[in-house]
Amino acid sequence: MAIRNTTQRWGAIAQLLHWLIVALVITQFTLAMLFDDLPPSAHKLALLARHKSVGITILMLAALRLAWRWANPTPPLPDTLKPWERSAARFNHVLLYVLLFAVPVAGWTMSSARGFPVSWFGLFTLPDLVPKNKALYELLVTTHGILAWTLGVVAIIHMLAALKHHFVLKDDVLRRMLPLTSNKTQGSGR
Amino acid sequence: MRLLISGALVAAVLALQTVLAQPPAAAPATPATPAATHYVLDPAKSSLDYTFVQAGAANKGRFTRFQVAYDFAPESPAASRLDVTVDINSLDTGDQERDDTLRGADLFAVAKFPQAHFAASQIDRTASGYEAVGKLTIRGVTRDARVPFSFRTATENGAAVGYMSGKTSLRRLDYGVGQGDWKATDQVGNDVIVSFALRLTAR
Repeated sequence: MAIRNTTQRWGAIAQLLHWLIVALVITQFTLAMLFDDLPPSAHKLALLARHKSVGITILMLAALRLAWRWANPTPPLPDTLKPWERSAARFNHVLLYVLLFAVPVAGWTMSSARGFPVSWFGLFTLPDLVPKNKALYELLVTTHGILAWTLGVVAIIHMLAALKHHFVLKDDVLRRMLPLTSNKTQGSGR
Repeated sequence: MRLLISGALVAAVLALQTVLAQPPAAAPATPATPAATHYVLDPAKSSLDYTFVQAGAANKGRFTRFQVAYDFAPESPAASRLDVTVDINSLDTGDQERDDTLRGADLFAVAKFPQAHFAASQIDRTASGYEAVGKLTIRGVTRDARVPFSFRTATENGAAVGYMSGKTSLRRLDYGVGQGDWKATDQVGNDVIVSFALRLTAR
């Protein structure tokens, strides 16, 4: 499998970043649901700390992914798409990227507003984005939640669209993002 | 020879008894705190802060109510005394939920142990200042503690004042601050840095 993207397939780096972020976003929803209703405890602190560290990791990976995308060819959308489908796909992809940045930044800002500095796995402490502010904290709790659920919904639409391409339209849209496969139409993934 | 040693011993014991029998006033060097100045706290211009690690990041807090009594004899620090009582309920980390958690049974248990107490009956002079040697009690657990500090006196508006400041580190689990799953130190560190900057007024 090629490291870089081709005009036919996503390369190894793009695939790795895509699926890593998928796994981490699922981890984030799981952690958030685990600690959401807990009373204050060391266990809750541990889950929250993990959630923050993973969130910052997603932010870093999203930045890396965007940079890699700009430095690589992008496999084009299939020619079979109608103009509105093309626009919807573009809009959905842009929204996914925006949310991959917005959700962690809202969470980080929310921690700063609460007065709790964010540490990345205990290895280094991130700077506070805003000074302590209770009203802003309350607002950001809601914002972080709404953005996260929006990301969840947009990601599910993205997933359903990919499955439709694979099982209904039977094209290469999903295959070209899967490792250990090749495109039907263009053969190998070079 | 044995007789000689015994004789010397008897003489020494007798001499010692004579010295000890003398009234304290007659011994000029005895630490009877004649020159000690008694200081009390100026709460408005004093702070007692602490720094702890939570979830990998340094967090700060303070106590807003505490009392200090300091008997300082400049000529004989060994005759000086320091007594500090902290109202644990006055802890303030800037977060209501965290403060309430800290007051709870598994951490400071303020309902049962409302105060922390440091009593130093000896002040040693060190290269950089002083060191209070005494007993620190937190959450009902008493341990030996040495607290280094600097102290300077001044006259302000005709009144004698003293400025005391210092920093020390202690381990919360030595005092049982952290029961149950709070015994774990991965989220809340064991080491706590305590710093103080006090303004004292002479009485």
